[in-house]
Amino acid sequence: MKEIAFLTPAPVFIEITPARLQALCEGDGLEIPLEREADGKIKTLCQEKVIARLQAFAGRKFWQTRPRAFCALSANGVLLRRLSLPAAGPEQFRKLLLLQIESEFPLPPAELAWGFSKLHSAAGKQDVLVAAVKKTAVAEYASLFAACGFDPVFTVAALARNALSPQPAGSHAWLEIETGRAELVVFTDGVPAGLRVLLAASESALAAAVAKALGTSWPGKKVFVTGTPQNISAPLAAGLEMVPVKLEAGPGRSAANLGLQKILAGNGGPLPLTLQVQAKSTPGKLNLSKPEIKIWLQRAAVLLAALLLLPYAEPLLANHFLVKRLARLQADQERLVTIDRELDFLENLKQTQPPYLDACYLFAKSAPPGARLESLTLNRRGEVSLRGTMQNGQLVTEFRSKLIASGFFASVSVEEQTPTPDRQKVNVRITAQWKPASALAGLALGPSAEEIERAKTNKTAAAEGGAPPGMFPMMPGAMLRSRPARN
Amino acid sequence: MRTLTQREKKTLRYATVGIALYLALFGGFKVWKFFDRKRTEYLNLVADARQLKLDVQRREAKLPHIQKLMEEFHLDPAKLTRATVVAEASAAIQKAAQSGGVQLGPIRESPARSASRELASIQLEGTGPVPAALGLLQRLNTCGYPLIIDSVQFSSDPMRPGPIKFNLTVIILDFEQWKSVEVPHA
Repeated sequence: MKEIAFLTPAPVFIEITPARLQALCEGDGLEIPLEREADGKIKTLCQEKVIARLQAFAGRKFWQTRPRAFCALSANGVLLRRLSLPAAGPEQFRKLLLLQIESEFPLPPAELAWGFSKLHSAAGKQDVLVAAVKKTAVAEYASLFAACGFDPVFTVAALARNALSPQPAGSHAWLEIETGRAELVVFTDGVPAGLRVLLAASESALAAAVAKALGTSWPGKKVFVTGTPQNISAPLAAGLEMVPVKLEAGPGRSAANLGLQKILAGNGGPLPLTLQVQAKSTPGKLNLSKPEIKIWLQRAAVLLAALLLLPYAEPLLANHFLVKRLARLQADQERLVTIDRELDFLENLKQTQPPYLDACYLFAKSAPPGARLESLTLNRRGEVSLRGTMQNGQLVTEFRSKLIASGFFASVSVEEQTPTPDRQKVNVRITAQWKPASALAGLALGPSAEEIERAKTNKTAAAEGGAPPGMFPMMPGAMLRSRPARN
Repeated sequence: MRTLTQREKKTLRYATVGIALYLALFGGFKVWKFFDRKRTEYLNLVADARQLKLDVQRREAKLPHIQKLMEEFHLDPAKLTRATVVAEASAAIQKAAQSGGVQLGPIRESPARSASRELASIQLEGTGPVPAALGLLQRLNTCGYPLIIDSVQFSSDPMRPGPIKFNLTVIILDFEQWKSVEVPHA
């Protein structure tokens, strides 16, 4: 993925030798002399100075990510081996490589900062170039650069220099000269065949050491020379040519840094093998560039995005279904409105049904023996009018009392009570008003089980001629009789 | 065209970033407003759907009660048509009277007051034994038409001892008027 230039600072190229540190970044250079302890570690004061100067040099903005620092290590302590492994899958290959490193190098892989690059493979074999250095040495630099705010990547300086050669894939050698020491790396067909640190007091001694290191069987002819001095007056062995390489002048512009810059620019071939080392994380600071943290950050970002976007995505996704559902519900609602009307109609019908039969039942139940009803008029407003004859006034009173006691009627009036001419009976005219439907709802009207049974018996008796026709059902004593015809 | 200097390139970069930020913010605000409006509409729709669902559920709860009433009256209001209901109800009343052993006399139909949601009223006279007359009252409620007995008058028949005379006024309700009126709780 292409990084955003605004957020990602330019990479820093750093070459570290025993005596100095050279840094290069976007055309600016920096050179810092290094002061070391007897065991080779950089002195604390010097470390602080290096951190301060590198931080100022990188000029990282607060919104930017940590810049990558491509660090080229000097050949001191670096071992280079070409190994041949049987072809295998990635996991198996790594195991085999670790076994080979364990057998070929003086320290176990856990104590080494090592890296490899695959060379050609043929006939079930895979050739690998492995470079390794003591882990503690690299870890010191890793901590130093982490404190500077860099994300360091370590490689071998001698290999990085090869990017400057006219034919990186050819057979040649590179000699980097410093005061009192030199690094020689030999390439055969572009593959590093040997790496040496040469210590020589004089040019002739250096020339002899180079000739000895190259040997007689090496097929190359040219030895590229960088550093200071850039030429050796003493002759090399016969057939070897020393080619001084002119570099850009200025601080930080070492052959390794320029080689790395050329590689990163994309025209210097692939990046030489990188040495893997676990840098000490700066206490109290979260290293966001760690892959595992990056993964969690990505997950958190996805969840956050989902949290923010889902409420807005829901209308787009679910609106169509909701509209359909709403249309279904509205169709249902129209049907239910009809049902509502039907219910209202039926309830109204039920409530307005006058209780004629209940009223008749109460009259029949309350009528005294011998009473005769000549007419009975009822209407749905609850107005009742009754005309008939009874034995005497006392029975009329009882009849009225029973009607009132039933709780069915709101009022019962004896409008007229007149004795018959023979004084044997009384003609009565009674009006009543039953209570409203809401008040009648709580009343338990209707015949009891005994009364029903008695009515059945009376029915049988009536069929046998025991009761006259025209008697009200369940009417114990009253009869609705036709008036005798007047002659 | 001349090559741009580093400073000019930097200025261009900043300008590009600034314009991109402005466009992103402006466009983002517009997009956010659009989606927010859609969301508000959607939420309103959801609220409507919930309300509607509650209404449907409330009304569905009434269905058993309606079913019971329909069975009680042997009546399905949806099947009633205004044009034929009076004739059908009159026929049903006469049929109920005859099957109950009641002899019907004159029958008079007259239009009822539409303001009282009544379609017509039928006045009928008849004679018969008391149980048959009372049975007719009972059967009128369950003959399958929206009938209400407005008044009933029982009297003795001066000509025939035994059976009684009765005079009924029956009202036929107009269901169509319920359809056109907003129902409470609807």
